Amino acid sequence: MSKIVSVHSFRGGTGKSNTTANLAALLAVGGARVGVVDTDIQSPGIHILFNLDESEMVHSLNDYLWGKCGIKDAAHDVTGHLGTQVKGQIFLIPSSIKAGEIARILREGYDVGLLNDGFRDIVTEMGLDYLLIDTHPGLNEETLLSIAISDALVIIMRPDQQDYQGTAVTVDVARKLDVPKMMMLVNKTPTAFDFDDVRARVEQTYKVSVAAVLPHSDEMMTLASSGIFSLKYPDHPITQGLKAVVAGISS
Amino acid sequence: MNQNQFESTLQELKAGEEDIRPSDVVVYSEPLRSVLNSAIRLGRISLTDLARQLELKRGQAKQIADLLVTRNLFHVSTLSNEDEIFYETRMSSMTRPLGRPRPDIWKKIDD
Repeated sequence: MSKIVSVHSFRGGTGKSNTTANLAALLAVGGARVGVVDTDIQSPGIHILFNLDESEMVHSLNDYLWGKCGIKDAAHDVTGHLGTQVKGQIFLIPSSIKAGEIARILREGYDVGLLNDGFRDIVTEMGLDYLLIDTHPGLNEETLLSIAISDALVIIMRPDQQDYQGTAVTVDVARKLDVPKMMMLVNKTPTAFDFDDVRARVEQTYKVSVAAVLPHSDEMMTLASSGIFSLKYPDHPITQGLKAVVAGISS
Repeated sequence: MNQNQFESTLQELKAGEEDIRPSDVVVYSEPLRSVLNSAIRLGRISLTDLARQLELKRGQAKQIADLLVTRNLFHVSTLSNEDEIFYETRMSSMTRPLGRPRPDIWKKIDD
């Protein structure tokens, strides 16, 4: 049975897009057909991780929301862009990176119901095992919608006081939306911190299980979104942590 | 749901005129909130199930369903027949720009 998974954080810069891309890659390594939707219409970026150039984007999520195409037409098979062979497949529905199109959608808006329909239709039409939704940070109607229809929610935070407070709001809202499965991912943790202590503190604060505590990493910063970290560094502690998140999603 | 709760739920749904948004559902009272969450996640619900989950008589549940249809969250499915009404759930906001949740949402969640 297919699963819809939202990857969310209250604040920006926590690593949502990187995490979403890596989770998609690890699921595909395991043989799954994975869809990824970039719903961060205001600041799209996950297409860069999948090496999908703007010139290759035949249609975007924006086109679908404007009624120019079906949702399947906006899905790009990026499996071949990963740089390594995987058993499964990844289909990316990118948001447009054209300034005019971003401005237009901000100005005119779109039918949120189409987003709702699109999520369900793409799973059915493409026979997906997983649909990962890369969300805009913070709470807005679109992120609430994605949480409302998701089977699982991965909330990313950094061990930072601003993240702690904002994440509490997100957890509270997610509980009110009765998400069947919720898990935390603590990202960019300074290596000087006691990771067990961080895990315990987060679990105690939010009463949500922590799938992984990931270290701040120079390798990740150096890679700078030019590729999928877990495929380049399969034995890195970050990759091991992401595999734990995959296990949580899959179960 | 007792009569007072039923009346209160009707008032809650009548209070707004726009299509129901995700941020509206978050602040609805129980048991309406959790029943709608379930229906939205599943994508559909029958009138019988709606009545059962809200612990209402069929006629009362129909009144609530009619309001939800008016506010574009429920849509009567083509699968409906003489014996049963099936509703498909779909959050929609025709011609509405990307917006913010209601201004008192945080207070509502904290209450």
